Amino acid sequence: MTIMGVCCDKPGVKVALTGNESIARGALEAGVGYASSYPGSPTAEVLGTLAKLARQFNLYAEWSINEKVAMEVAAAASFTGLRSLVIMKADGLNVALDFASALAISGCRGGMVIVVGDDPGAHSSVREEDSRNLCKALHLPVLEPASVQEAKDVTREAFSLSESLQLPVVVRCVTRVCHASGDVLLGELAPAGRRPAFNQGDRVITFSIKLHALQEQKLARASDWAGNSRLNSYHGPGDAGRLVIASGPCYMYALEALEMLGLSEQVGVLKLGVTWPLPEKLLLSYLKTAAEVVFAEEVEPFVEDNVMALAARHWDEVGKIKFYGKRNGQVAGPNGPGIGELDPDVLAQSLSAIWGTPYTKPALPAHQEIFDLLGTKMPDRELALCAGCPHRASFWSIRTALELDGRGGIVLGDIGCYTLGIARTGYYLLQTMHCMGAGVGIASGLGKLDCFGFDKPVITVVGDSTFYHAALPALVNARYHRASFMCVVLDNETTAMTGHQPHPGRETTATGEPADTVPMEEIIRGIGIPYAVQDPYDVEAAIEAVYRMLQQQGPRVLILRRACALAAVKGKQKNRVYVDPEKCIGDSCGCSRFCSKVFACPANIWDAESGKARIDEAVCNGCGVCATLCPQQAIVVERTV
Amino acid sequence: MPGQKDLKNDVLDQDLCSACGMCVGLCPYIKTARDRVRVIYPCGLAEGTCYSICPKTGVDVRAMDLAVFGREREDQALGVMQGIYIARAVQDRASGAQYGGVASALAALALEQGMVSAMVLTGGDVLNPYPVLARSADEARACAGSKYTGVPTLEILNRAIREGLDHPGVVGRPCQVLAARKAEHSPLPGTQFNQAGSFGLVLGLFCFWALDPKFYQFLTNKVKDKIIKMDIPVEGPVIEAESGTYRWQVEDLRPYIKKSCNLCLDSTSEWADIAVGSTEYDPAWNTVLARSDKGRELLDLALRLNVLEVGEYPAERFPLLRRAALNKKMRVLKMQEYQPGRPGCPVVPPEYQKQLEEQWGGIGQ
Ligand SMILES: Cc1cc2nc3c(=O)[nH]c(=O)nc-3n(C[C@H](O)[C@H](O)[C@H](O)COP(=O)(O)OP(=O)(O)OC[C@H]3O[C@@H](n4cnc5c(N)ncnc54)[C@H](O)[C@@H]3O)c2cc1C
Ligand code: SF4
Ligand code: SF4
Ligand code: SF4
Ligand code: SF4
Repeated sequence: MTIMGVCCDKPGVKVALTGNESIARGALEAGVGYASSYPGSPTAEVLGTLAKLARQFNLYAEWSINEKVAMEVAAAASFTGLRSLVIMKADGLNVALDFASALAISGCRGGMVIVVGDDPGAHSSVREEDSRNLCKALHLPVLEPASVQEAKDVTREAFSLSESLQLPVVVRCVTRVCHASGDVLLGELAPAGRRPAFNQGDRVITFSIKLHALQEQKLARASDWAGNSRLNSYHGPGDAGRLVIASGPCYMYALEALEMLGLSEQVGVLKLGVTWPLPEKLLLSYLKTAAEVVFAEEVEPFVEDNVMALAARHWDEVGKIKFYGKRNGQVAGPNGPGIGELDPDVLAQSLSAIWGTPYTKPALPAHQEIFDLLGTKMPDRELALCAGCPHRASFWSIRTALELDGRGGIVLGDIGCYTLGIARTGYYLLQTMHCMGAGVGIASGLGKLDCFGFDKPVITVVGDSTFYHAALPALVNARYHRASFMCVVLDNETTAMTGHQPHPGRETTATGEPADTVPMEEIIRGIGIPYAVQDPYDVEAAIEAVYRMLQQQGPRVLILRRACALAAVKGKQKNRVYVDPEKCIGDSCGCSRFCSKVFACPANIWDAESGKARIDEAVCNGCGVCATLCPQQAIVVERTV
Repeated sequence: MPGQKDLKNDVLDQDLCSACGMCVGLCPYIKTARDRVRVIYPCGLAEGTCYSICPKTGVDVRAMDLAVFGREREDQALGVMQGIYIARAVQDRASGAQYGGVASALAALALEQGMVSAMVLTGGDVLNPYPVLARSADEARACAGSKYTGVPTLEILNRAIREGLDHPGVVGRPCQVLAARKAEHSPLPGTQFNQAGSFGLVLGLFCFWALDPKFYQFLTNKVKDKIIKMDIPVEGPVIEAESGTYRWQVEDLRPYIKKSCNLCLDSTSEWADIAVGSTEYDPAWNTVLARSDKGRELLDLALRLNVLEVGEYPAERFPLLRRAALNKKMRVLKMQEYQPGRPGCPVVPPEYQKQLEEQWGGIGQ
């Protein structure tokens, strides 16, 4: 159904949606007027979905330059009374934290929801940060959907809660919910939008300690509200002596695990849809009857710690309870307690150990068997840049230039597709990798160590989207302090990692409106840093460009610009690339399987039988870079244009 | 036979590479930038063409004489030759010619006569030299003028061969001449030079040393305006720049002389078809040594077509030239670093060595 389902005006009908679409639908049902985001997995598709419906629903949607700005623009809308939504991944909340903590004090007006995508297991992130701990520090309520349906319901609820508290509300959604698909029972779409108002004399400020007291009052109200909210629910026998407290998709896992253990009738499951502030009264009522409590949540023991603290405060009411969770190591996945995701099997194993109920892993369904069998035969798929990825060519050039330079230059990076520069496909180049833009800041630091005799050349790579997001302050810092390093912008003309969202260097906005492009060259020129632009597909010239710039001093920027291979071939006929076996010298001196072994585009494969290289034409994106590197001109490119 | 690893360990990492460029571009693993030659990735092979053809991985002087000319040398100073002359270009003398413009004129002639399909030359200027694959006489003349750094010119030869050019020609320093000859005559593990023996012309320059890329830094610091020409006459290095002339002593440049050049025995391109140098007394003329039959014929042709004006080599200068060449050889053979057979050190067989000492003694110091 996808987009059609999201905007379907048939309340009571069920449509198939993804978790992210379900969030978007929830926002539409709540009458959202303003949405902003910086793309990040697992929640990247929420804004994309709303942007497509912007005109139809008379809402404003934008890909902001970074999460802090995204939160600020959304807050602005809320200050005028509009309902606003801001979406980011957990890492993005870190970026927005400064404003978020202030906003939590000033409060908002129109309902404002902050969707934070957490990524337990770090499937598409560099870390599996649990944002709930931050939200607690921020004094913001946290709601957690357990399913695709709930993603919508929770989002809609969050708007009304926010509006009644005059406080932004966080919807914390994990990858397994964001990316799952399921039937969603639609509610009513909100009637036509509100009109913004912000008048002289209106004040939304953070000053005064009194506001802190107000924050605490708001949280107390939220806790009361949570006690009665449908978002929390209980499943199981009355007065259960054994209780599982679960949040997010772990609720589903818990039900399934108990089912597998045959314990559904004896063990109660309390699902917390509101994990901060805790619905204290509700929790206490269950704790009173429970003698054993198991926590099922991802990633950190957040509910666990806070419920245990609650129980301690009420020890005289709740009596003696044995708690099992991450803290005592009883609930743990293969990587240890509090690390990685849970699943029904992991939970069943934990519960079986806790309660001595025998558990055998259910027999694998037939397809799974085949898959596992295949798994042992197939090599592990490594983390690799796509076929034709311009970053591979860029990394190759950087690597070559550094070898030519011979001073042991170091390479820093940060977050984006190019993070794969830490792996084989990026020739293991990247030596630091932290967060958006951090490479530039670290380079600026290293670039000042010459006074201590540190004389290695420093290169930092940064993506084009990251350049706008977080590289600018560090570049200004570098210019101001004359820090010596070379910043290579790997400009693939899109935000590729998260699904090709536009950024300020592009011609259109999220909603497809023409944009006033902000070319990075103009910014760099404005900062006063020398720069050059080069196509990384022309590897020889790129090596030369990197090498030349390496010899210079002070801050300098090299833009290696070439459209993402996936975006470039989308909807077009690809160039046909193949190996001429007559010319290929394969293993022998003069090549030694350079294309498949060293350059290693996934489409460069080695045919052991013939002793020649081959191109996997299904994978190849037709960039032709390998053809320019083949020492024998054995790789032929048939251009389609 | 050794391979890439040995080339890296024995030659490149020991700073014994003279940047001839022969190993560059043989495969995707050896590259150059601004005259530096580096192995950029291990190829994993134990044996390799790169090692075999490197002029610094050892050569037996007598064996090479036999391979190239089919006979031993009589003159240990200047090697096998059929004649020594002074010469200068008369027709279309290249405007940037270093001296008499003989090198450029012969390169152009070889192209015009179809003796070579293309000439591998060193173009650009003193600060920015680069390899050029000249296919026309004009392109050849545009490369006139000496660049005193070790430019890895032969890199482009590899590209030419891969592109299927047969009988290419080369103008190069003595180490480059040797590299070309090694490629012609060695048994090679790789298929890179599958047209052995097919150089159309190997024209060698005289060369007592070349400079390291660090020299560029020296030059940029000292000379701020555009450099027109560099020369190293007996009085010392001279730079002619737009705003005036800069002079130094050879001693000022000594720190930039390539280490490999200090171990080099060949100052007159002993295995070239024809070798060209200065006269050391008249900058409008060149010294020319015709060595092989091919070289002799080219010189005859140039004379016949009035491309060159050729004169007798002044008898009184001959001992001076020989002494300069012998002095260099003796200096090398007496160096502590010189250990025959070690990378960077050519092997002089005993009978050659004996003659060498006799001839050197005979010339008087
Ligand atoms: C590094 C170096 C050191 C030299 N040292 C001496 C010396 O000590 N004594 C002496 O008599 N002569 C020396 N020469 C040779 C001399 O400078 C002239 O090149 C030679 O006399 C030819 O003069 P020409 O007028 O015929 O040259 P031109 O007609 O000007 O032609 C010059 C030719 O030299 C080639 N060339 C220029 N620079 C280089 C380079 N770096 N590597 C390879 N080829 C190059 C060009 O391709 C061109 O074809 C040296 C040359 C070089 C490059
Ligand atoms: S042309 Fe070569 S490098 Fe490019 S995608 Fe195809 S196989 Fe990969
Ligand atoms: S780089 Fe060229 S010659 Fe080498 S294996 Fe690949 S196709 Fe063959
Ligand atoms: S020439 Fe042969 S041995 Fe040398 S680096 Fe290339 S492939 Fe390796
Ligand atoms: S001397 Fe020539 S062949 Fe030897 S390493 Fe240097 S460039 Fe390569």
